[in-house]
Amino acid sequence: MPTVNNGGTRIFQYIITVLVLLTLNFFLPRMMPGDPLSYLLGDPGADAPMLLTEDMRANLLEYYGLDKPLGAQYWEYLSGLARGDLGWSIYYNAPVGSVILGRLKWTLFLGGTAAAIYVALGIVLGAVSTWRRGSKLDVGLLISIFSLGSWPPFFLGMLLIIFFSFKWGMFPIGGAQSAEAARIGGWKQVVDVLRHWFLPCLALVLSYLPGIYLITRNAMLSVLGEDYVRTARAKGILESLVLLRHAMPNALLPVVTTVAMRFGFMIMGTMFVEVVFAYPGMGTLIYEAGAARDYPLLQGAFLVTMVFVLALNLLADALYGWLDPRTRRASA
Amino acid sequence: MRKVDRWLGRAGWGLLTLFTLTALFAPWLSPHDPAAMYEPMLPPSSAHPLGTNDIGQDVLSELLYGARFSLLVGALAAGLSTVVGIGLGLIAGYYDRIGFAIMRVVDVFLAVPRFPLIVFLAAFLKPGFWTLVLFFLLFGWTKTTRLVRSQVLGQRHNGYVEAAVAVGAGDLRILGRHLLPGTASVGVVRFIVEFQHVILAESGLSFLGLGDPTIKSWGSILHYAFQYPTIFISDVWVRWAAPPGVCITLVVLALTFVGFSAETWTNPRLNGRGS
Repeated sequence: MPTVNNGGTRIFQYIITVLVLLTLNFFLPRMMPGDPLSYLLGDPGADAPMLLTEDMRANLLEYYGLDKPLGAQYWEYLSGLARGDLGWSIYYNAPVGSVILGRLKWTLFLGGTAAAIYVALGIVLGAVSTWRRGSKLDVGLLISIFSLGSWPPFFLGMLLIIFFSFKWGMFPIGGAQSAEAARIGGWKQVVDVLRHWFLPCLALVLSYLPGIYLITRNAMLSVLGEDYVRTARAKGILESLVLLRHAMPNALLPVVTTVAMRFGFMIMGTMFVEVVFAYPGMGTLIYEAGAARDYPLLQGAFLVTMVFVLALNLLADALYGWLDPRTRRASA
Repeated sequence: MRKVDRWLGRAGWGLLTLFTLTALFAPWLSPHDPAAMYEPMLPPSSAHPLGTNDIGQDVLSELLYGARFSLLVGALAAGLSTVVGIGLGLIAGYYDRIGFAIMRVVDVFLAVPRFPLIVFLAAFLKPGFWTLVLFFLLFGWTKTTRLVRSQVLGQRHNGYVEAAVAVGAGDLRILGRHLLPGTASVGVVRFIVEFQHVILAESGLSFLGLGDPTIKSWGSILHYAFQYPTIFISDVWVRWAAPPGVCITLVVLALTFVGFSAETWTNPRLNGRGS
């Protein structure tokens, strides 16, 4: 559980974190052994930069500002970022910013819908388990959900492709849409996009459902011992209503925090699943950038992912304050 | 419920013991040297029970040696994270000023999504065994520290601690003899969760091809299998990609089960509730 800080310290903390990440993003490539140009030109192990004449080298160094002192370079890097300039991707020969924009929407679509589904499903199943606690249904849910959740997302994805796509031919084997349907547009395209979305989404839902389910179940069980729940029962309210109206709202608080704190963890799953399904999102982009040694792209994609996760965390913090009046009073 | 817990716990311990023994005795159990090359893509036979991979290495030997690497990284990283986490948590809870400083560092670390950062670091630094352990330690201690600190803060003014102070016990003695034992249950649970996380993250890194390419791990077997062009079309995946995947799954599952049973014996308050 995060300690409940007041808003000011919280935001200050995020600013520090972003600064640490920016600094790391700036210095890490520069700490690597070898020529800074070889890093910019792609493969640090390659001899290619050695073929440059002294003049060309000097020009290139000047062009990228690599001949300036480190402090000046850092300042330029920060002011470039402030203007939205993330650098130039060697692999795609395009600005990093626009490459990322093209990919971000798919990750948001896949990750967002999957998150909505597993959070909702996890809460419902967790509540059902609590309602029938100790029964065969509860134990069955607990064991089966955990058995599913132990599969590494990438392995689960591979199995889904093998069976649903190759063996049974029910779904496309990868990508986010087919060129054919994208050209036709309209309903055809919508159906096509959904067919491509289904399996990766299923892999993500199965991987992250257990976490939400278990937290809901634990939170509900611990709330059930509280006095106000006993009071509600004593008034003769139906057990299902006690759970829904009295236990659930309080039990959902830890669920909200955990979902928020796990965004970073869920990014990991989305990344694997994207790679396995060749889904053209941020995860695949980071994977490709790493494989092609396109360091500017890797840095840009990393930075955007991090800032995005941090922004979501901040949002969840705000949401928590709104959901739980007690923290509001404490911070006032 | 408690009966089920006990049964699951036993299954978990059994599986873990089996995997640990496999990892320990990998050199004696493996039919071949995992690096030695035979004919590529041999189907299963008595000489190669799981066949050979695309460059002719024996898949079963790879798998057994892979258990070694995956479990060792997991246990070592999780163990060190827990020890460091408990140590810093005790200090942070007992000394106010250092505690404040430690907790600010913890806040920054907890805010950072750790897996993308580990991927980023791995892409630049090309981690070997120790670098990998260091990565996971770097991001693994913070939650334990936070939990232990809040526990110490709660116990610091309990009667038994104040009594120890009153008879003149030194800080070290109070921390070691009186506050440390209380952190055991947090430590066990955190170790298990961390172990699972490291196993999944390490195999994920290797699966993405970001691990050490020369080291046999379950993730790297999956990496090469996934790269193989016809892996999904033929049934090769059954003997090549499925075994390492199933091993990772079973270890994670076994740890979950052990965690279930550990929760009941480390937290007696849970007994009798919820059943």
